[in-house]
Parts: sequence; C-alpha cells; structure tokens
Amino acid sequence: MAYFRITLMRSGIGMPLKVQGVLKALGLRKRMTTVYYPVTPDVAGQIMRIKELVDVKEVDRPLTKQQQREQRRPEKGYHVEKRGSEQTSNYEGL
Amino acid sequence: MFGPFRLTNSLMGGLLWKIPWRLSRHQKYRHRERLRKVDSTIATLSAALARQGQTMKKVERWKVEMPTEQEMLPKDKYTVFDRKVKRYRKGIHKVPKWTRVSQRLNPPGY
Repeated sequence: MAYFRITLMRSGIGMPLKVQGVLKALGLRKRMTTVYYPVTPDVAGQIMRIKELVDVKEVDRPLTKQQQREQRRPEKGYHVEKRGSEQTSNYEGL
Repeated sequence: MFGPFRLTNSLMGGLLWKIPWRLSRHQKYRHRERLRKVDSTIATLSAALARQGQTMKKVERWKVEMPTEQEMLPKDKYTVFDRKVKRYRKGIHKVPKWTRVSQRLNPPGY
C-alpha cells in the first residue's frame, strides 16, 4: 500500500482558516513535521488545499516517529581518515 | 532641510513601508523554484492516484487549467493584474502572502 509522506515546509500562520484547519486535521502543527497518510482521493484533496506549504512524496511504508529519529541520528563511533603517526614520520623525513 | 525636526516621509505620515516596484533577480529565482515545487507536488499527487487507479477532479482541473512554470510567460510569473495600477500590472511581490499563494492566471487581454 502506498502512502503520502507530507512535510510542512512553510508555516500556515496568517493563512485562511480553511488552510489552517486542514493543517490541523492532518496533524501538521509545526514546520518540518512529517506525517504519513494512505494514498486516497480524500487525502489528495487535503494536500491540494495546502500544496504551497508542504513537501509531498509517495512512499511504500510509513515510518514511526522512532524510525524517523533514527534516520536523522549520525552513525555511532568514528573512522580513521589518517593516522597521526604517519603524519609525524613524514615531517621527520624532511 | 536638516536637523532633528526635518520633514521626512515617516515623520509626516508615521508608518512608511518601502516595497521596491520590481523583484530582484534572486527573488525571481526563488519564486520560480516555488512555482516548480507546486508543479512537482501536483505531479506526485496525480501519479500516486493514477497508480491506485483513481483520479481526482480537483487535480485534473488544475492540470488542465493552470500553466506549469515552464509554460508561463514572464509577464504572468512576475506581475499580476490590478485594476487600480497604471497599465493594469503590479509586481507579484505586492500580493499579500505572495510566497505562499498560487497566482498564475490573469484576465485575458491584460
């Protein structure tokens, strides 16, 4: 089943009440909130109302809040680009 | 002429907002990006619905009636019709909330 991934990019402050109502109904309270809804004409109609404010992608499965947080988290630990000892031996050679 | 009590526009009238009469090229660039973003949202919607075997009147109507960013004339992209302005055109940046509303069509002939 396909889903819409809807992210609020622009705030709805100062927009008509109908637009703000759609944002509230979709659960988009703050900028950069992401919500997932199944692909149906009802949801498409709601997106049409707020199309200037949101970023929409079609995805296969919705992500939970935890999964979204995990995606944003940088990888644990570190990797060595260059050893300091190699650097100093180069300098000693000069 | 000079001094602390000279007559300036803001002193005489109070609030003075200065909106330049035309857009800068960077504003124009960002405006085109926004138009393209809306186009891509519409494309995503119609593609997703078509994959489900469904259509929507609102989306179809938008696709028929509204020109895409590439099809729009520069005149329609950056200016809008206004009956109160000389020669009936004003910059699109004078429209309230212009970065968050779609304003693509103008009356024919103007």
